[in-house]
Amino acid sequence: MISRLFHLSLAVVLLSSAAMAVASAPDRGADVPTATVETFTERNGKVFVDWPTPQAVVVLTGELDGYIEPCGCTGKENQKGGLSRRQNFLRSVQAAGWPLLAVDLGGQVRRFGRQSEVKFQSIADGLRAMGYSAVGLGPDDLRLPAEELVAAVAPVGDQPTPFVSANVGLLGLDANITPRYRVVEIGGLRIGITSVLGDKEAEQIRNDAVEVQPAAKALEAVAVELRKAACDHQILLSWASAEETKSLAAGFPQFDIVATAGGADEPPAQLPPLGGGSARLVELGHKGMFAVAIGFFPDPKLPLRSQRVPLDARWGESPDMIRLLAAYQSQLESLGLNGLGLVAVRHPTGRRFAGSASCADCHKEAYDVWIDSGHAKALATLEEQSPRRDGDPECLSCHVVGWAPQRFEPFEGGFTGMQSTPHLAHQGCENCHGPAAAHAAVERGDVRASTTERDRLRKELVLSIDTPEGKQKAVNNCLECHDLDNSPEFDFDTYWPQVEHSEK
Amino acid sequence: MQVGSVNAWAVAGIAAAVGAAIGGGSALLEASLRPWQVGDFSGEMLAPSNADAAEADVPETRHDFGTVGAGGKGSHEFVIHNRGNATLTLTRGATSCSCTVSDFDSTDGGDEGGRKEVPPDGSTRLRLTWKGKGTGGPFRQQATVFTNDPRRPEIAFVIEGTVVPTWKAIPDRLVLSKLSASSGEQASLRIFTYGSEPPTFEQLEAADPETAQFFSLSTAPLDAAEIAAETGATGGVLLKVGVLPGLPLGQLRQTLRATVRIPEEIQLEVPVEGTVGGDLALAGGGWDSSRQALLLGSVSGRKGSRTQVFLMAKGPHRSSVKPAVGEVVPASLVVEVGEGVPVGSGGTVRIPISISIPPGSPPANHRCSPQAPAGRIVLETGHPDTPTLTIPVCVAIDP
Repeated sequence: MISRLFHLSLAVVLLSSAAMAVASAPDRGADVPTATVETFTERNGKVFVDWPTPQAVVVLTGELDGYIEPCGCTGKENQKGGLSRRQNFLRSVQAAGWPLLAVDLGGQVRRFGRQSEVKFQSIADGLRAMGYSAVGLGPDDLRLPAEELVAAVAPVGDQPTPFVSANVGLLGLDANITPRYRVVEIGGLRIGITSVLGDKEAEQIRNDAVEVQPAAKALEAVAVELRKAACDHQILLSWASAEETKSLAAGFPQFDIVATAGGADEPPAQLPPLGGGSARLVELGHKGMFAVAIGFFPDPKLPLRSQRVPLDARWGESPDMIRLLAAYQSQLESLGLNGLGLVAVRHPTGRRFAGSASCADCHKEAYDVWIDSGHAKALATLEEQSPRRDGDPECLSCHVVGWAPQRFEPFEGGFTGMQSTPHLAHQGCENCHGPAAAHAAVERGDVRASTTERDRLRKELVLSIDTPEGKQKAVNNCLECHDLDNSPEFDFDTYWPQVEHSEK
Repeated sequence: MQVGSVNAWAVAGIAAAVGAAIGGGSALLEASLRPWQVGDFSGEMLAPSNADAAEADVPETRHDFGTVGAGGKGSHEFVIHNRGNATLTLTRGATSCSCTVSDFDSTDGGDEGGRKEVPPDGSTRLRLTWKGKGTGGPFRQQATVFTNDPRRPEIAFVIEGTVVPTWKAIPDRLVLSKLSASSGEQASLRIFTYGSEPPTFEQLEAADPETAQFFSLSTAPLDAAEIAAETGATGGVLLKVGVLPGLPLGQLRQTLRATVRIPEEIQLEVPVEGTVGGDLALAGGGWDSSRQALLLGSVSGRKGSRTQVFLMAKGPHRSSVKPAVGEVVPASLVVEVGEGVPVGSGGTVRIPISISIPPGSPPANHRCSPQAPAGRIVLETGHPDTPTLTIPVCVAIDP
């Protein structure tokens, strides 16, 4: 009896294992709860359905636009993207036993300044850690000072640089800081990869230490080398408009996979053909929200399959990338606002800030609404993150009083830290109504003013939504922080009731 | 191995074979039922229809709105037919953005809880409404509908187009990556407008008074071909920006502000960013700009090492920079300066400097700590304003 039970149990276990082993395509990150996987699979679609094991798979990413991780008011779990999920996705591909080649179009950062320099270095370190074989350079990357670019891009020890470009040379093409192309053997296939910066994009870069050759001319030489290398497939990473990319691809039909910038915010579900041949055009979307996987198969009827992969919560988070993010935040904190080159700018009104508590004495009802709202906890939400974000100007600008939200820089008299300006913590009254220090001083009697002056100071701070013009002004205020990047769900009429306050 | 009266290995082998057969069979069966998947090149390989099932026929799954003004909206209806013999059940799935809303036509039976029942030979419509957001450029959004058609369990409807703003600057901001304080710069941007008339500039200024005097601004009309090449543009100018020498060192921030009529009055603002530095800078392996030191790390004195950095020279004196090596600490470092090479159009000259620690070098400790201060390489540069350049070196040469 016991032995029969044992045999039956063993058979069940083996049957289950064998059945599962046949289809093991990546569909989740390691240790991600099944409920999370199911929620986001239903929301954003299944991936790799019916894929047999490919001979090799190329994963293309790009246009990270500075989003090391997704951020915004709707909650990280509801957004897509980030290096952490990307690494976990790549690891799940490898865990499925699929030979993997990771390449990136470029466009790691979107802004200029010391924070972008530090961010670019961090992202470059992350791409190395993820084992990328080829990474292009986008125009915003190339606007960074050359010494920072070189420090981030240059080989580290025995590890060659993952950055490649046919037509961009840091410190000159002949300095050979980056190779012009790379050939990788994976899954028994030879895959040649190169990248170009489009000519129109190159015109917009004003960096004397970066040499750019016309894309088509540079590709002539590289194309010869890739042909000599007898590659089974050739990939062109083209940072150019779709039109310019198509023109380059037509001139060099040897590239069967061509990735382009200049596309829409989300990549298409299927890869459109390029011209009349077998080449395919790949768009990657913006903010690194998606990866595109292309599988190669020894099936003459179906030699290629593609999958647009939303980098959502089903992939989980990678501890290695979380550590990288923590190191990045730590650097920002060490540098501080001065070290990051942030100089306070004059507020357009010329006025100074008082802090939300100054409003409480006279505007108690409005203050009570505010103190119960999410706005009054805005800075705390940054402190509670792991790692903390309260040293990151790109986050602070919408979580404290007295910053220009879209320029990520403080106004004169705005928040500079909890030690020096605790009264300006959180998203306070003056971010919408304007700086109120003069008004508060007059109302407290600290400063003597005529009735006319007192009334003028009061009127300057009124924000009324009773008229279309007034409402639009209020909406524009909200959109400074509730923008498409950080608050894609924002609708004024839906959100206003949560913070509604008015005075007769 | 025998367990009781049964050979357990035989049981395991049979179980594995049966399991593999079941697993493989289920995969093949699933593939035959659902060969068409979004993202799969095999979209043409639809399976034959099942006589007793619903069958969704969708003539169109993609709609291009063309150009849409920023803040405008568009709406399109997709038709879904049921060509099968059973009721087609449709369920609205998620849209890829809150800017896109989907709903079934309510005039032919209602849309209850996002579900729709379509009888055989019937049809319905799915309406997608999209609100323009953002500052311009291509957009693409998707709405998913789930079906009980075994060949096609989910259908993705895609809307796309191009958002056309009121105005656009290319580039959208002027970044002057590394300005030399001793020389000026000339730059330009193209400004496109999308009004009913070509733009008339009524005011143009550098808004920040602190550095405004270093900027000279002028406009010139763009030719018709350039304007026509920009989707939706009805006018445009070339905005020429001259930056004079003498800007203070450090971060540069400025805003170019213009009042323009198209014919309605619009305000344009284009940020200017950059870094103003001296004429000499270092780059390359080991150079840490945060610490302003060359980090060579720990090196085996027995094996030695070699690294290369570059001295970059900008400004009007760049051609006269021909560094000569002065003091070197530790003395065992061998420093060689190569010939300067212009980069690109020649605004920067790149001078290679190789630093070798020959095999057999004696131990040295310059780890850049209080106990072990930095070493140094002193260069006599030939630059009139910076005749000497001292490069701190952090290195430990181990025995």
